[in-house]
Amino acid sequence: MKGQLGFLVDIDKCIGCHSCEMACKNQNQLDPEIRWRIVYPMKGNSSVPTERCFLSLACNHCEKPECMRVCPVRAYTKLENGIVFHDKNRCIGCRMCIMACPYQVPQFNSNTKKVEKCNLCAERIEQGLNPFCVDGCITDAITLINFNEFNEIKAEREIEGFPNPNITNPSVRFIPYKPGVQIRRDV
Amino acid sequence: MDRRTHVSRRTFLKGAAATGALAGVGSLLDFQPVHFRHAQARTDISTEVFQNACPRNCYDTCAILTTVEDGVIKSVTGNPKNTYTRGRLCVKGNSYPRIVYSPDRIKYPMRQKGRGSGNWERISWDEAMTEIAQKILDIKKEYGSTLPICLNKYSGNFNLLNYGIEGMMSSIGYTSRAAGTPCWPAGIDAQTFDFGTIWNNDPEEMVDSKYLILWGVNPAWCAVHSMQIVLEAKKRGCKIVAIDPLFSQTAVKADLYLQIKPSTDGALALGMCRYILDNELYDGDWLVRNAKGYEEFFGYLKNNITVEWAAEKTGIPAKVIENLAHEFASVKPAGIWIGYGMQRHTNGGQNVRAIDALVAMTGNVGIPGGGARYAHLETWGFNYHAMVHSPPAGSLGDGDRLINMNNFAAEVLAADEPPIKMLWIACRNPMAQDPETSVMQKAFEAMDLVVTVDQFMNDTVKMSDIVLPCTTLFESPGINVSYWHHWMNLNEQAIAPMYEAKHDVEIAMELSKKLNELEPGSCSFPTDLTMEEWLANEFNAGIYQLFGINDWRELKSKGPVKAESLKVAWQNGRFRTPSGKYEFWSEEAEKFGHHPLPVWVEEYKAPEKYPFRCISPHWKLGIHSQFQQTDWMEQINDKPFVEIHPNVAAQYGIHEGDNVKVYNDLGYVIVPARITTATSKDCVVVYEAWYKDKNFNINYTVKALPADMGSKATGMPGIAFHDNFVNIEKV
Repeated sequence: MKGQLGFLVDIDKCIGCHSCEMACKNQNQLDPEIRWRIVYPMKGNSSVPTERCFLSLACNHCEKPECMRVCPVRAYTKLENGIVFHDKNRCIGCRMCIMACPYQVPQFNSNTKKVEKCNLCAERIEQGLNPFCVDGCITDAITLINFNEFNEIKAEREIEGFPNPNITNPSVRFIPYKPGVQIRRDV
Repeated sequence: MDRRTHVSRRTFLKGAAATGALAGVGSLLDFQPVHFRHAQARTDISTEVFQNACPRNCYDTCAILTTVEDGVIKSVTGNPKNTYTRGRLCVKGNSYPRIVYSPDRIKYPMRQKGRGSGNWERISWDEAMTEIAQKILDIKKEYGSTLPICLNKYSGNFNLLNYGIEGMMSSIGYTSRAAGTPCWPAGIDAQTFDFGTIWNNDPEEMVDSKYLILWGVNPAWCAVHSMQIVLEAKKRGCKIVAIDPLFSQTAVKADLYLQIKPSTDGALALGMCRYILDNELYDGDWLVRNAKGYEEFFGYLKNNITVEWAAEKTGIPAKVIENLAHEFASVKPAGIWIGYGMQRHTNGGQNVRAIDALVAMTGNVGIPGGGARYAHLETWGFNYHAMVHSPPAGSLGDGDRLINMNNFAAEVLAADEPPIKMLWIACRNPMAQDPETSVMQKAFEAMDLVVTVDQFMNDTVKMSDIVLPCTTLFESPGINVSYWHHWMNLNEQAIAPMYEAKHDVEIAMELSKKLNELEPGSCSFPTDLTMEEWLANEFNAGIYQLFGINDWRELKSKGPVKAESLKVAWQNGRFRTPSGKYEFWSEEAEKFGHHPLPVWVEEYKAPEKYPFRCISPHWKLGIHSQFQQTDWMEQINDKPFVEIHPNVAAQYGIHEGDNVKVYNDLGYVIVPARITTATSKDCVVVYEAWYKDKNFNINYTVKALPADMGSKATGMPGIAFHDNFVNIEKV
């Protein structure tokens, strides 16, 4: 598959349940301290309290990956399908990529002394399967998209709390939260 | 099912090399050998997939598929054959591999020198069984009966075979038993008075609702698979209304959220009923055919209830109540999901009856997409072979002594003639989960022997003399059904028991052997059945017919099965009340000391000294004492907190993260503040859970205050957990 794969994250559907994150951890057999996908709580506002709206993020498989640019040992590869593939076997654990990534995606594993991150379940993609997080999301809030074909007008490139996408052009889009009518007592 | 052996597992690189998926950079040859080595090392691994059943006290009771390589669990996922689980697991289910392989598991029997001292020593199973059996025999000799032995076992594992613990107790004589259920009894009684029993529609058909009120229930945290159904219904045009004193994760997703004053749910329902009555929006035909006492109920509404009054009680504007009532009564099917949280009050049962009445008078009972959905036990008609056993011949006494589980500590201390001297705790963590922790501490201290069966060193184990390690669901077989959905899930043994862990029924057999060795005939519990035989003995013709199978072994190839005939509750209009009708007027209710009608009962109000209601609901990263303690969960959240409204925080000089003492006459807990508009100015929220190595337990402040109902169906009233009043201060 050619093109640029990435994620569409529907914040309106997301219930912040962390199932995606834990499905990733369980299926990829990650070490306890490592989180390839993280469900971040978003800051509250007048229509939704903090810790009631979430941003589920893994690697954004950027068009211009900073991690790859700064890596001294070419541990990162941009695959034809757009996946930013990190090879643990080449990684020397220098942590340059951790400093460079605007999204704090690469993580240092203190056991292996190497960095690791989401490879978008590249092996599963080869088999025509979804990444574990997509299949594990209870409410179908995470979708695998190919930007060559993607045409969802409701999707946004920027959302509050998400770092400026102009640096690396991340392959992720968001559908924002749409509050209902609220009759609240103390606001 | 689906057992297979992998001879070669394709790695990414092999796939990538075959399709030329790598772009440029010329790195392929550089790292290929490493991957090939990796791949070759794995070629002869045998991979099997087993069916498992999540046995937790949870609506969702999921069907799991477990991948095992060379006897080690590699991953778990939802079983797609169970269309409720839908191939997905919640955050807790996905963390199971870490529960099984947690370094914190209790690995072998241990004896503690001095309860709470932490001075544990490893002992053999034989030593443990000898000490326990000898104590049982000594007690029987000293007191002339086994009544000083008390079992406290409940919902930590709902595998049918775990009832073998009750069976073992029955097999040594008459004993004392923690009876009742803390979670949901007020609502069960309410629905028992109204319908004759609890029975909810298949949750999967909620997608067909046109109007759905989620009343005091938070599926986004506590029944995620149902939350998906709710969101699907919403997508199809169903209006979703959430009613909750807290702006829960579920409420955030609703089309309409009403922040009701806590414990006034009945007032809102009755106000809606009055509006529907005045505007003749009720289903008269349904009432004539199916209901008893609706004229009396209408009379009550006319004489006692107004929408304005309901607005005053609930804090929801009259216009909003009218609109809600109008919409609810004008659309069919319209359903209400009644949560367990809203009935944990001194008027909780009455509030559930009022909501039932609202559903019934609009003719939404017995139809697809409608219903007053609470729970059911329709799929639970097993033999309970593991549970039901007779005492040995010559046992003295005339039956077990029931100790109220919902006031356990005080009743254990008060038990007399004979006193309680020994506790056996299984599938429970009363030191962390029960009210009045300080009294519980005293009750444990008053014992001669405390035996706890568990997997982790929780607060109850710490207060025990002997701990026995039990298996996880992956290490023993079993069978599970849900009190919400209508599926049955087989649980296969996927791996050998870890360390020296045993299943509860195996422990029961071991103890029986030892008792009979020391004193022949002292225990009638079978000792020669295999786990598979125990399992087979739970099935009967009724279960087979309900689930459309002829033999339980079919489940091994077929996977989970569903009781399709239960789909729409009460569709035939044959209610299980004394009159056979839906009973607005219930003489049974009157017999149990309640008004025969669903009437308003004043809520429990804050005393002057303790102005804040402390609500202690379930937490999304755990269920009671399970899951939150693993390092996988700790990576997401590793500390408890108290939610405080910003205005209150400002008034008390509390900032985000400040340590706050939450206290009342019973005790206190110190937790960091989380300042949020998710709560109201009169409520603080502390999610109940057991955190490893944290001095946290909200139940130090919770009184064993009974809810209004529960005695009829469950033997004991529930606990008004959410009528807990506290004050707060920055520390």
